[in-house]
Amino acid sequence: MKETYRRFSAARIIEHLVQIVAFCVLVATGLSQKFYSSDFSVWFILKLGGIDNVRIIHRSAGLLFSLAAVVHIVAAIYGTIARKWQPSIIITKNDFTSAVHNIKYYLGIENFPAASGKYNYTQKFEYWGILTGGLMMMGTGAVLWQPVFFTRFMTGELVPLAKVLHSEEALVVLLIIAGWHIYNSIFSPEVFPLNVSIFTGYIPRERMVREHIHELARIENRTPEEIREEVREQMQKDATREREAEREKVRRRD
Amino acid sequence: MRGIRANLFAPALFFILVLLPHAAGSEQFPSSGETPRCLGCHAKPGIIITFQNNETQAASVDPGKFKGSAHGSLACSACHTDFEAGKHPARTFKSKAQYRIKAALVCRRCHTNEQIKKGSVHAELLEEEQQGKPLVCTNCHGSHSIARISGKGAQASEEQYCMRCHERQTTLRFKNGEHRAIKVDILRLRTSVHGKLDCSDCHFGFSSDEHPQRNFRTDRDFALASSESCRRCHFDKYTKTLEGIHYAILSQGQMNAPVCTDCHGSHEIARVGKERTASAKRCQRCHSKEYDAYAKSVHGNALFNEHNQDVPVCADCHTAHTILDPFSMDYRERIPEMCSNCHAKKEIVGKYGLSTDVVKTYLSDFHGMTLGLYKMQRGENFKPGKPIAVCTDCHGRHNITSTVGPDATTVKKNLLKRCQSCHPDANEHFPDTWLSHYGPSLTRAPLVFIAGIVFKIFIPIMIIGLVLQILLHIWRYAINR
Repeated sequence: MKETYRRFSAARIIEHLVQIVAFCVLVATGLSQKFYSSDFSVWFILKLGGIDNVRIIHRSAGLLFSLAAVVHIVAAIYGTIARKWQPSIIITKNDFTSAVHNIKYYLGIENFPAASGKYNYTQKFEYWGILTGGLMMMGTGAVLWQPVFFTRFMTGELVPLAKVLHSEEALVVLLIIAGWHIYNSIFSPEVFPLNVSIFTGYIPRERMVREHIHELARIENRTPEEIREEVREQMQKDATREREAEREKVRRRD
Repeated sequence: MRGIRANLFAPALFFILVLLPHAAGSEQFPSSGETPRCLGCHAKPGIIITFQNNETQAASVDPGKFKGSAHGSLACSACHTDFEAGKHPARTFKSKAQYRIKAALVCRRCHTNEQIKKGSVHAELLEEEQQGKPLVCTNCHGSHSIARISGKGAQASEEQYCMRCHERQTTLRFKNGEHRAIKVDILRLRTSVHGKLDCSDCHFGFSSDEHPQRNFRTDRDFALASSESCRRCHFDKYTKTLEGIHYAILSQGQMNAPVCTDCHGSHEIARVGKERTASAKRCQRCHSKEYDAYAKSVHGNALFNEHNQDVPVCADCHTAHTILDPFSMDYRERIPEMCSNCHAKKEIVGKYGLSTDVVKTYLSDFHGMTLGLYKMQRGENFKPGKPIAVCTDCHGRHNITSTVGPDATTVKKNLLKRCQSCHPDANEHFPDTWLSHYGPSLTRAPLVFIAGIVFKIFIPIMIIGLVLQILLHIWRYAINR
């Protein structure tokens, strides 16, 4: 039985690093344009050499983000069709029941958190939130970049619409990333100080048991119940050993 | 003539009241008692000469005034050459004018043409005399009360002294043959803002003692030199003009660039800001094309036809003294500020049903935001690649039309052309990307409005959801431990 399992391929690790860079640049240069009248934004924009530079940087980062996103989508579609990828990120009915289950668990109605496959429901919602949000940002960003070109095919009103969507969706995506993704992969007590699997590509088996038991069962070709049984036995053994060690200690002291 | 007589009255009084007692103290007329003898009759008031045309002329002499005059030491016969102590020939004259011309000829016996020519005002009179117009010295200088040209007290005020000549139409001649007619209208001078000043306050170097002869090459040189005197008092305005475009082109050798007096006038300077129509018309003299466009614009029309004092005149946008090059980047960037001087103020534009949001909506959109940041970058020697659209790029400069009523369609129609001056490939959809200074609403730009509302509802819900989920998660984790 392996101690760790491969969770992400090298391509996904590189992709994630690229998106971190692109995303941070986009947020910094984008928010300073959205809140352009605040003192900090002005300071930041002037430090970068003016609004023209900020726009060039923002659009370059946008291109990088878009490129990585397109590569990801093409790879995902190809991988899924060629059956190299498991369609594990697809949202199923199970994810909604898991969400309800987890909320019950948080409220103390259920004893265990919902079991999940390779990705749990929060990760799936996050993924699709970022993906659809990202696509919207790409589309509206392109319109804002080249309004003259796009108004050849669409009415003028869609440009201010694109501005509203781009600006507000940016906040939504930021909230998903900063408020949810950062919490789940850094500050959540289960992974604190950092969930490193997206950087190393590996995940320890014990976390697989806790968080992705269906995936583990699929890999080890067992049922989740067998794994849980094994873990329970292991825990009981550990507990017995601990109790004996305790007793031993007491006896020695006497 | 009446003016001069009136002016002479005051100095005459002065002599009587101040100098007469002195004269009385040493009542001694020189020259062998001839003068006392003449005055024996002529000091009596009421003596008159009657001419053939029945005009009359007083022949009485005020002894005090005569004694105090420039000629007070002369004997009567020094001027009245036909007369002596015992000789009083009877003469007849057709008219008072003929008498005065004849009498004045006697002055020239002592005062040669060369001497007379030295006074710049006389040169012209001598020329006129050669053309047949008689020169009557006494018209200006008086006769028995003749005053010293130099010396204080010749006239009660400097203005009176100067006006003795400058009330008449005189002509300045310049080296290149140009000439300038000069006539000071005393009434207009008195009612001007400078009515209380003395002539020499502006005409520095001139006084009742001095009348320096100055030579100017051209009429324009004279005008430029004259306007220099303004800065002695109005130094703040003068320094402002040094930054302006008029001074800039003047210093490049364009001598027709306006100086103080070209806009403000000279002796008839009016109080500023009183009459806005006049203010606009000052600029018309050189900028007639712009003035015509302005006169037809919504602003000019209100000013000239409705006498509306709220509308801007030239100087409100271009300023009066620090007039910037209107094609400069600096000026361009100030335009939204200029327009907002009125269009962001409810108390000014509110009564015409105009929205004060126009400036805000501009500043919060792409162009306004970019412009605002460009302005801040300017301090760091930044040159933007291309100019950013400001108010005038869409609304026009001098020919601004109303955006409501029948003109509105013209504005809309011209908009595409204006967009195309920076975005050459723009098509007819492009102007609609700008929501015309209105915030989105269900009737205008409903899609934009709805999208905004959806996010306004969605984002708070999402924040609450995320926070709750995180808090619940932490809470459960804490309990499990």
